[in-house]
Amino acid sequence: MRYILRKVTLFIITLWAAITLNFILPRLMPGSPVDAALGKLASAGVPITNAEKAAVEAQLGAPHTSIFVQYADYLRNIATLRFGTSFSFPNQTVAETIGKALPWTVALVGTTTVFAFVVGTLLGVYAGWHRGKFGDSSVTVGATFFGAFPPFWLGLLLLYWLSFKYGWFPIKGGYSPGVTPNWSLSFLGDALDHSVLPGLTLAITTLSGWVFGMRNNMINTLGEDYVTFAEANGLRSRTVALLYAARNALLPNVTSFGLMLGAVVGGSVLVEGIYSYPGVGNLLYLAVTNHDYPLMQALLLVFTLSMLVAIFVVDLLYVRLDPRVRSTS
Amino acid sequence: MTVITSVPPPEGGLGGKASPQARGGPGGSSPQGWYSAVPGPLRFIGRALRTLWGNGKARAGLIILGIIVLAAIFAPLIAPHSPTATTFAPYKGPSATNWLGTTGNGQDVFSQLIYGSRISLIVGLCAGALATLVAVTIGLISGYRQGPVDEVLSFVTNLALVIPALPLMIILAAYLQGHSVWTIVLVVAFTSWATGARVIRSQTKTLRTREFVTSAVFSGERLFRIAFRDILPNMTSLVAASFLAAATAAVLAEASLEFLGLGNPSTVSWGTILYAAQQQNALLTGQWMMVFAPGLAIVLLMVSFVLINFGIDALSNPRLREK
Amino acid sequence: MKNLPNLRSVAACACAAALLAAGASACSSSTAGSSGSTSSAGGTLTIQGDTGNPTLVENFNPFTPSTELHGTYLIYAPLETVSTINGSYTPFLATGYKFTNPTTLVYTIRQGVRWSDGTAFTPADVVFTFNLLKKYPALDTNGVWSQISGVSASGNNVTFTFKAPDVPFAATIAQTPIVPEHIWSSIANPATYANTHPVGTGPYTLKSFAPTQYTLAKNPLYWDASKIAPTTVVFPAQATSQSTNQLEVSEGQFDWAYTYLPDVKATYVDRDPATNQYWFPPGGTIGLFLNLTQAPYNNVNFRQGISLALNRATIAQKAVNGYMSPASTTGIILPNEQKWLDPNLPGQGVVTQNRSAALAAFTRAGYTLRGGKLMGPNGQATMTITLPNSFTDWAAAATEISTELGQVGIKVSLDEPQYAQYSQTTQAGTFNAAIGGFGGTGIPYNDFDLALNSSYAAPVHTPTVNNFERYDNAGVNQALGKLAASTSPAAQQQATDKLETMMYNQVPIVLLYYGGSWGLFSTKHFTGWPSASDPYTLPTNYNYSLLTVVTRLVKA
Repeated sequence: MRYILRKVTLFIITLWAAITLNFILPRLMPGSPVDAALGKLASAGVPITNAEKAAVEAQLGAPHTSIFVQYADYLRNIATLRFGTSFSFPNQTVAETIGKALPWTVALVGTTTVFAFVVGTLLGVYAGWHRGKFGDSSVTVGATFFGAFPPFWLGLLLLYWLSFKYGWFPIKGGYSPGVTPNWSLSFLGDALDHSVLPGLTLAITTLSGWVFGMRNNMINTLGEDYVTFAEANGLRSRTVALLYAARNALLPNVTSFGLMLGAVVGGSVLVEGIYSYPGVGNLLYLAVTNHDYPLMQALLLVFTLSMLVAIFVVDLLYVRLDPRVRSTS
Repeated sequence: MTVITSVPPPEGGLGGKASPQARGGPGGSSPQGWYSAVPGPLRFIGRALRTLWGNGKARAGLIILGIIVLAAIFAPLIAPHSPTATTFAPYKGPSATNWLGTTGNGQDVFSQLIYGSRISLIVGLCAGALATLVAVTIGLISGYRQGPVDEVLSFVTNLALVIPALPLMIILAAYLQGHSVWTIVLVVAFTSWATGARVIRSQTKTLRTREFVTSAVFSGERLFRIAFRDILPNMTSLVAASFLAAATAAVLAEASLEFLGLGNPSTVSWGTILYAAQQQNALLTGQWMMVFAPGLAIVLLMVSFVLINFGIDALSNPRLREK
Repeated sequence: MKNLPNLRSVAACACAAALLAAGASACSSSTAGSSGSTSSAGGTLTIQGDTGNPTLVENFNPFTPSTELHGTYLIYAPLETVSTINGSYTPFLATGYKFTNPTTLVYTIRQGVRWSDGTAFTPADVVFTFNLLKKYPALDTNGVWSQISGVSASGNNVTFTFKAPDVPFAATIAQTPIVPEHIWSSIANPATYANTHPVGTGPYTLKSFAPTQYTLAKNPLYWDASKIAPTTVVFPAQATSQSTNQLEVSEGQFDWAYTYLPDVKATYVDRDPATNQYWFPPGGTIGLFLNLTQAPYNNVNFRQGISLALNRATIAQKAVNGYMSPASTTGIILPNEQKWLDPNLPGQGVVTQNRSAALAAFTRAGYTLRGGKLMGPNGQATMTITLPNSFTDWAAAATEISTELGQVGIKVSLDEPQYAQYSQTTQAGTFNAAIGGFGGTGIPYNDFDLALNSSYAAPVHTPTVNNFERYDNAGVNQALGKLAASTSPAAQQQATDKLETMMYNQVPIVLLYYGGSWGLFSTKHFTGWPSASDPYTLPTNYNYSLLTVVTRLVKA
């Protein structure tokens, strides 16, 4: 119980610190949202005038209050889950903007991560069980190679060859143009078709983490007394591999789930950009280039919060799964 | 610090759980014995390399890394042209003069690729070293000192872990002015030390209860001396592993930031070649080597780091050793 | 005009519908099924649309230029549109205008026009619109009320009273979108109004909106409806990734696209030589802006030296693939504004590289070349050029400039921050040298005024968007005043000539090469696109050129 209480306290303090950091970081960036908005016009070749700047300033309602007032507003907004209006989407609240994008990323990243976890773990079990043999080497070397692919590079190549050259997959977006998202079967199929390439890119580049983790754990577990004991007792080797070794080796891999989430989210910023996927990764890049503080803060909050919660849940789960943790803490 | 193989294994490699019997003692060699070996560092590196060479994967990694390092050092001799001179016809595919074609600005892609290895290596190694330095310092202190110091440092580490690195890097890169390679080194180091610190902390926690540490404490040695002189050498492989992991991450991060256009487009690096390829739409003009080659170079450099890390892992954890 | 950074704001579209149905197959036409084209009525026009972020946000508020969707220009007609090539007028809600004196402008309003909801359009709507801009300065993006002091209607005429003579400002007034009083008078906050059910006088009305594409349908109540060819106009959103957009353009998904394409003949024209055509006219001038508050840049001889030391042909070749030619240093964009060019200036005002003349000019400024270094009173001449890192053509130009200035002994370094920081530095006047854009309005007075009028030249650290190089020349101000006040073509030409000569001799900005306007057209469905032989406006599809072009199209 003390363990849980401690974890909860720590969770809250970390949350506060992360929230505060999210407030400070965007404001460190040089240049103002107004400059960024004008830059967008300038890059389209529109001649910029002082009058235009004044009007854009008025439209964005650029912050003139002191930084402390802004911070207080910011905390209050978080507490009430209102994040104000984004500069990029003046007609929507930030919550609406994120609400539209988040499901896409959750679906993409979620499916991809589960897929990579399952495949990677299985490959890891296989490699660990056949340690030192040809199968192990091919799996580890292959995973090393594919794991080193920069996601944006793989994304570019797949996009060019599979979409542009051969036309097997749509070239961009989360769904076909002119369609409004809905729950119809045809729309879901459409969305699935659009998510194949970004999903594949993310899965291939994150697979190796699971493979290595699982392989190492397998090898360690296979050396444990109880596994040796089971083998000595004449249990079939497949039973040993799956029932004893793999089950116990799985535990550490589950714990890294929380941390893996960060890597996948990071990768999704680049991959969503390449495939023009309508998710939060894309939105974050937009927020950064537009100096859109409200949107940036809310997005960073979503990212950190999801990681914090994932780690917290895993921590709590760990107590249930591994009694040793309870005693050592 | 001569005997790498006598180092106690980290807890199940990186992040795994240790089994009781895997935890050997410090191999009988007394901590004081290290100072007797005379040309210490050189002999140590030589020996470490020889030991790594014995591991098949690590050997492959060392060869790849060696080739890239040689290319970086002797770039002016290897590269047939200047990497920045815009003297060729733009948008050309591979030819006898331009082995990998030319950029939209009329630069030779092959020469850029050769020179680009310098930036990737500098960023990878420097950011890796810097991140490891921070990780070791924080990890050691936090692992050795219990109570408030540990609480605060672990808290900072956990905080750094939960803020997603890439978004943070994007913001920092936009903030830091100058846009030189060193900006990227700083940004990458700042965002990638936390994992290493966590691993080193937990290993320190294990080691500090060992007899040789206890005896050092009783003989009245000061905290930092114990931490850095007695505990750290027993984690050489772990530190090396964190370094390589951080370097791998740094190479990828550098390429990503450059690709997003957050670096300095005037420097020649693998990331900026890809950025230029994207900007000039090399795939549309059919110059696929301009996209393929720098990406593959990044992959190979990262693979070499990971392969060497396999060797280190295998050395430190006998169970992972190849049979 | 410049290449966008690869991951700039934007979103989704196009060939997907065709693609996923078949799982493969090509997709040349991207009508995407939603338009239901009926060929007899004129068919569907597909225009490469707005950039989604990553999806489009519905906003047809014509007073929010940074967030409105481009289709807004086809829904809300202005009094007249003004060609960005040469400043010529195309009448819409007005039939003409007249300056009764240099401070009084009278527009004659067209009769018999109706709003798309059936209500009659009246001069009162025009007066209402301008008073709306006065009431909500956030809407007044063109600074109308910084120039005019009043607006009133009588009969078919609307009269604008100016604070000071400003004849060329008629163009800005002409292109102000006119909104209906009976709807906008009851909108609480027009600055943030998304206007999802736009009612306008333009040739099109909003038919359907989806986050990745919107469709406009021909407005049957439009006053000149019989002349409008396309029955529907589809705007598929652009992708976040600029290179994806280029791939789609290359695939031939649009009747009209606006994007820079490398090697355009191979990547676009050759893919369908019968119908694919491009027109890349100059749309502005790219120049090296020197901070005139700093020595030695405040010395005209030094500036002439820099201008003479540069090889503009090479710079243009490196920057934009030779699509654009070296710029006339007069500030006149050639050939667009040929009629304004002073014929007495040598070589149409294009300065060619001349190293000995450059060194002579530097000597007059007190700088001599010694041992490969241009040495002056404070040692070697140095220059830091600031430019936004995402504009790759500027970066290529800056690299070439630094090479060429290095050859005359100036030590050049480049500073390439993100746009927001670039704009902060230039506006504050704390930069050393910067790459920037000059002109592009199609009206010489506006180009010269924004770049050179000392009334904009704020003290260093006080931001100003215009004249950020902080030029201050009484003669220029005087010529600008004359040009603003003259209504006769001869007087206008005289004042313009004076400004051109000033630009050529005084070098307030070292103009380099023209920035391109990247029009890509298909004549498969419609003809009548602007071209070199019929250059009636720039091929930009994100301002009132859109209205000018679409109303001139003819079914192929």
